[in-house]
Amino acid sequence: MTELPELNPIIHGKLRLALLSLLSTVEEAEFTWLRNKTSSTDGNLGAQMLKLEEAGYVAMEKKFVSRKPQTIYRMTESGRRALTEYVQALKQLLGAAIEG
Amino acid sequence: MVDFNDRQELNERLSLIENMIAEGRQTTQRWGWTFVLWGVAYYVAIVWAYLGNAALAWPVTMVVAGIITTLVASRKGSGGPETTLGRSMASVWISMGISLFLFGICAGLSGHADQHVTIAVIAIMLGMANATSSLILRWKVQFACAVVWWAAGVVSLFGTVTQSSYAFLIAIFLCQIVFGTYMMIAEAREARQERAGKEGPSHA
Repeated sequence: MTELPELNPIIHGKLRLALLSLLSTVEEAEFTWLRNKTSSTDGNLGAQMLKLEEAGYVAMEKKFVSRKPQTIYRMTESGRRALTEYVQALKQLLGAAIEG
Repeated sequence: MVDFNDRQELNERLSLIENMIAEGRQTTQRWGWTFVLWGVAYYVAIVWAYLGNAALAWPVTMVVAGIITTLVASRKGSGGPETTLGRSMASVWISMGISLFLFGICAGLSGHADQHVTIAVIAIMLGMANATSSLILRWKVQFACAVVWWAAGVVSLFGTVTQSSYAFLIAIFLCQIVFGTYMMIAEAREARQERAGKEGPSHA
């Protein structure tokens, strides 16, 4: 019997998964854009982004645009790899669920 | 063993990924207004030049339109994500704008600005930029605009001065004013749909 893969707990959180999926489609995105797309609150979004940043899945940069502070996030290579592995594991688990 | 509840949760995760990827790709920037703005700018320059100040009309109008475009675009664009598609589109139009500006200034200053050639160059370059955008976006309506611009360029070279002027005026109307307005309506509709269908995860 083949062993079922484990899902990466950092990515598995709904909001973190949504954020990584969103970031996988763009080169970089601003905090407010991510907040609007996920309908999350500032505090929750900040906390989840910090977890992803600590895991090395996203990189954060603060800059000023027209004298307004902006927080920009981009997905790292390791984040992209982790999301790909997560999706593969998810599909494998779903496949096992259908078979079993 | 994956039980029913787990399976349901896994399916939810999978559709969340799909929805968010679709949401991220749906990020459209609103550019219809620039087509209308530049169409109006061309008409202002043409009328101003016709009234007798040809040396000032084109450079002043084009510079003012360029400044307005940059200012409004930087305001509208702030907060939106940077995508490869967005950068490709901006590259096409910025390169075309610089080339056209360089041509306009040099043709004007050197005194080699023959109406047939000037209109043909402007029309064919606008055709090129519209065609490139349409091929990137796979958008037939914009490719039709490219064809109109190319046709105006050909008419300008083979036709009389009057035919050349009419071809240019018609191309501006169809490819800037009408197409720009059509784009703005489509963008507004898209924005409404985006707002209406917005649902997302609100917790970790």
